[in-house]
Amino acid sequence: MSAVAIALSSLVLMLVLIYAGLHVAITLGLLSFIGVWLIRGDAGVAANLMAQAVSDSIASHIFGVVPLFVLTGFLVARADVGKDAFEVANQAFRRIRGGLGVATVAANAVFAAITGISIASAAVFSRVAVPQMLRFGYQPKFAVGVVAGSSVLGMLIPPSLLMILYGFLSEQSVGALFTAGIVPGLILALAFSLTILGMATFRPHMVYLNGQVQPVDDTDLMSVPRMLWLMWPIVALIGLVLGGIYAGFFTATEAGAVGALLALLIAIGRRKLSWRGFWEVLIETGHVTVAVSFLIICANIYTRMLAMSGTPQALVSWMAAAGLGVAAFLLVYVLLILLLGTIIDSSSIMLIVLPLMLPIAQQFELNLIWFGVITVVAVEVGLLTPPFGLSVYVIKSTLGNSVDISLGDIFRGTAPFTLTMLAVLALLVAFPSLSLVLLP
Amino acid sequence: MTTPSGLPVDSYGQSLPLGLDKVFGAMNALGTLWILALMVLINLDVTGRNLFAAPVRGVTEMVSISIVGIVFLQLADTLRTGRFTRADVLLDKLKRQSPVLCDALQALFHSVGLVLMVVILLASWAPLAEAVRIREYVGAVGDFQLPVWPVRLITLLGLLATAVCFLLLAWLDLRRLFQRRSAS
Repeated sequence: MSAVAIALSSLVLMLVLIYAGLHVAITLGLLSFIGVWLIRGDAGVAANLMAQAVSDSIASHIFGVVPLFVLTGFLVARADVGKDAFEVANQAFRRIRGGLGVATVAANAVFAAITGISIASAAVFSRVAVPQMLRFGYQPKFAVGVVAGSSVLGMLIPPSLLMILYGFLSEQSVGALFTAGIVPGLILALAFSLTILGMATFRPHMVYLNGQVQPVDDTDLMSVPRMLWLMWPIVALIGLVLGGIYAGFFTATEAGAVGALLALLIAIGRRKLSWRGFWEVLIETGHVTVAVSFLIICANIYTRMLAMSGTPQALVSWMAAAGLGVAAFLLVYVLLILLLGTIIDSSSIMLIVLPLMLPIAQQFELNLIWFGVITVVAVEVGLLTPPFGLSVYVIKSTLGNSVDISLGDIFRGTAPFTLTMLAVLALLVAFPSLSLVLLP
Repeated sequence: MTTPSGLPVDSYGQSLPLGLDKVFGAMNALGTLWILALMVLINLDVTGRNLFAAPVRGVTEMVSISIVGIVFLQLADTLRTGRFTRADVLLDKLKRQSPVLCDALQALFHSVGLVLMVVILLASWAPLAEAVRIREYVGAVGDFQLPVWPVRLITLLGLLATAVCFLLLAWLDLRRLFQRRSAS
């Protein structure tokens, strides 16, 4: 068997094993170990490669701050920053049809500028926005759908854990990737809002329980000083973190540490954090970080195995021989990601697909920053698609027994937003300038 | 979560023999404190160099080497609490339809994990010995130097703990499988 055949059959076997439920990291490690063993005919070489991956694949300054970005996300979730953003947005959009839905999207977009993980957004807004929407006669399906859909903004609008991961894998500047995510993030938020408006206008039964627009409650409005009081921590956090990066006080990677400290101070200052709560946040941070890091270690040896087998080059020449151009490559790439998104989580998809696809993208001389934005959006669709959609699972477990809604109904409620995301994805693929406009 | 027979559906989050769950938990806590230390360190560096023109030496090196230590301190506990990433689609179906088959499959998967950990563990001895022998360090001579061996040692201990954890999980899977069969 040739090296390429070994690598390709390992890919097929990988999909089978992952579907069967073997831990993704173990799958990657195991198949790469066997792959290298077969290609080199020496188990010792394979074992040494693996030991080397363990000691050096995550030992980098960029990756070292990942736990701090995760910590920031969980801390701001505890500090009720998302809840406050939602209350203010709620009042601002109260006269619009489907206003609570639009308010959820807007609050999520603001919240996304502080957090870099979508699960934090999904958890916060299922606790804050869903009960509010149910109280005002919205369809439960719609309420959870909006929360799931808009949670993806968390990892598109900077900071973003997925962008850090992509930058790390593709050796692109994390700062440039963050900047490139801003406009697509805002476009997606706008598209979600238009979808809600359209549904509330043309298909009111999808939004409201009785199909009627609910009367606006103007009796209990917040004063402007009160709104400012609620918003200042968010504005301060965003201003200090993003301002600090662009003023050159610290790098995009160091911003993780600065953000975490500020979020900690805000949470303590507002008396939202007990010692016990803080410890829980820290433990959770560790577990999320470790799961991703261990995946990276195992994906690293898989990358080395692929490179050793010459598979990326073989795929490039095969695509050239078949007369496939850039468009066909992008189509296959996006479809592959969407397919994987139905069974595994975001970081696993990136770690599986990028080692194979980045060399091809480079061959086609694609802009790798734009390619990163496309990748992140496509990967994030997987947060919403059944049977495995992480955001939907987080919402289900956060709501617990307080709202009686099945997993299937949450997926159905999310569908309009998944379709909106696909439309925006097509837009971003067709017009690279949308992602690159803010870059020098 | 338990099945009608009163047995748990999987082996995660349970106490382990010899109080090992406590040991893994303590390692995890240590990693957690390390994350906090990183936060403080980077902030000291950022504040120091911007406000007082006094950067903290070696933060970049410490951050890049720390993450390895943190991950391996916390690896076993992450596994024990069932937080390793996996696709649950098939396993969830089996949990309902054929719990015995699910137990068997879990035992197999945990054994595979064990084998992989042992292979990496065996291959990691040599680099540790080498790091001690040649006094390997990160950083630049005369500016800031940090020996590499402590992190290599932590990595090794973390791998060992994770291997033991895989072994115990597989054992719990098998024990549950036999209890389930004798119950039915």
